[in-house]
Amino acid sequence: MSFDLSLIVETVPKMLAGVGLTFQLLGLSAFLGLILAIVLLLMRISGKWYLDWPAQLYIYVFRGTPILVQIFIIYYGFPQLEFIRESVLWPIFRDPFGCAVVALSLNTGAYVSEILRGGVLGVDRGVLEAGEALGLSTTQRFIYLTTPIATRLALPAYGNDIISLLKSTALASTITLMDMTGIARTIVAQTYAPYEIFISLAIIYMILTFFLQKFIGLIEAYLGRYTKRES
Amino acid sequence: MISPQPLIRMQNVGKHFGTFQALKGINLDVIKGERIVVCGPSGSGKSTMIRCINRLEKHDEGRILIGDTELTDQIKDLNAVRREIGMVFQSFNLFPHMTILNNLMLAQKLVRKTPKAKARDIAMRYLERVKIPEQADKYPVQLSGGQQQRVAIARALCMKPEVMLFDEPTSALDPEMINEVLEVMVDLAREGMTMICVTHEMGFARSVADRVIFMDAGEIVEEADPETFFKTPQHERTKLFLSQILSH
Amino acid sequence: MELLSGWWDDFFWGSVVVAQVFLASLVLMVIFGLIGAAAKLSGNRIVQKIANGYTVVFRGTPEILVILLLYFGSAITLTWISRLFNPDIKFVDVPPFWAGTVAIALIVGSYATETFRGAFLGVRPGSIEAAKALGMSGLQVFFYIRIPEMWRLALPPFGNHMLSLIKDTALISIIGLNETLFVAKQAIGTTGKPFTMYIVVGLIYLGFSTVITLTVMALERYGNHTVRAR
Repeated sequence: MSFDLSLIVETVPKMLAGVGLTFQLLGLSAFLGLILAIVLLLMRISGKWYLDWPAQLYIYVFRGTPILVQIFIIYYGFPQLEFIRESVLWPIFRDPFGCAVVALSLNTGAYVSEILRGGVLGVDRGVLEAGEALGLSTTQRFIYLTTPIATRLALPAYGNDIISLLKSTALASTITLMDMTGIARTIVAQTYAPYEIFISLAIIYMILTFFLQKFIGLIEAYLGRYTKRES
Repeated sequence: MISPQPLIRMQNVGKHFGTFQALKGINLDVIKGERIVVCGPSGSGKSTMIRCINRLEKHDEGRILIGDTELTDQIKDLNAVRREIGMVFQSFNLFPHMTILNNLMLAQKLVRKTPKAKARDIAMRYLERVKIPEQADKYPVQLSGGQQQRVAIARALCMKPEVMLFDEPTSALDPEMINEVLEVMVDLAREGMTMICVTHEMGFARSVADRVIFMDAGEIVEEADPETFFKTPQHERTKLFLSQILSH
Repeated sequence: MELLSGWWDDFFWGSVVVAQVFLASLVLMVIFGLIGAAAKLSGNRIVQKIANGYTVVFRGTPEILVILLLYFGSAITLTWISRLFNPDIKFVDVPPFWAGTVAIALIVGSYATETFRGAFLGVRPGSIEAAKALGMSGLQVFFYIRIPEMWRLALPPFGNHMLSLIKDTALISIIGLNETLFVAKQAIGTTGKPFTMYIVVGLIYLGFSTVITLTVMALERYGNHTVRAR
């Protein structure tokens, strides 16, 4: 059994052609997911049961089921429903890219909202009381005190979620999208060389993850600079 | 002489946490310019009492009036009341993500709507009052405990409150830093700032207090001027407390 | 509901497969996690580097890729090995059950190494010192002090690992494992109702994760009942 290096040299560029799609999926889903997460967070901390409970239910369902199932429900399942086919959103759901983005966004939104909530809960109560004592309103405390502090607290876990999201984009290959994984699977089917192809692909993902982590680390260091002790 | 209307009036105030009665039948009038020290064993309700004054805790029985405004659930503008009451906490509670200067300016801009430049001036002036103007651009984590607490006092003062509440301001400090904070508080007292101070620092009480109040098990047991309080305490509980706290 | 009348059986057996994969991979995941944690705590630089490498590789690679690699790769290798003995063999593969189980155990195991390592380090040194000062032997200290405290600390993140495990089993359908997603695909072929079928799969997994979450909550309450502040 040989390890065909020439094959790797040939196919890596082909796989890298998919990196654009990978990043489109990642960027779009991360952005939309974050917006959804903030909405869910506000619903959760609103104190009103008719906002809190639906949000909790949503988070429970989306964190309790595999993301692959969610992708399949949207891509294969939605066309079964007439009201989807006839709605104005149909062009999104008819297209595998649209379905993938929707599924990934809905999924990451659930996880990120819990991460943000963890940050909010981690804000020192004393700091908020000081804000109260000074006469700051609830909204003012939330904007000027809770949000900046909670963001810094949530950043490590959020970074991990972005990395998970990157890995989840590979599942788009199961609904015909030609991201890096999709291209790789096609090549493997043709060449019967799973080791060379998949290991190279894994290395590509690991490199991407590495840079993503470094980037997030930089943001963490910048935002957390006030937590460094001096002498 | 007509006695001035009290700034703070507490009438038969009570508060419980679940089944635990934290405050019972508290009656207290504070007039402008009065300096009151509250002492007592842990769990006596001292902190709870002053936290009810700016409604960080909600009282369950009785009435609390700040000036003409009564503190209730229906109060229209609680923040207007809180503007006039400054509070200093045991754990300082500075905003960790902001510079010292911004700590002092935030409430001025948001609550008193002071323009930025003026807020800055006021902030620097009070920083000089507490003797640490050079720390203006540092972050709280870079300051010592004593410095942080002085910043906290300055932060409260920037709002030009009518009355200052101190909740065990030196209890979390290392011994060598207690004095720098007490000095600031003594200066404030000598200038006539109305204040209620929960503390174990009896030296402070003796030098500036108009009244010393002893609390135990949620009630005010005894109150008197410092001379009388320390020399001739009336109640057994007071005597016991004083013997414990003054002997070690 | 009539749609499903032929399929309840198949979904049931598919769920059984999911449970089997879960339990098998759970055992392996704990083993991998403990070995990895031990390696990271060992103090031996080379062993630590290998353990860190393990973590980096499996945290940086998409799960689906690991599964595909393990399945197809092992098939190629096994076929090649078998052909050395019997040239007539065309194709040998590792059953998708095992390829998939090992794959997800390796993946979640890499996260578990950090969990176990953190739990080990999280045990208060004061407790250990006190136990030693009382004269307890190394083994006694380990079993009576270390393990209970580690268990308490590791439980919440471990619960998350279990949830990851159960959800990752769905990915194994891609390599042909006869679990619920696979059943759904077949059901769709005859009934033409993909939405219904995939919703059923979703509900089955929701059921599994609920059971896991409730179990972890109960275990947490048990583990903390002596430690919770009044």
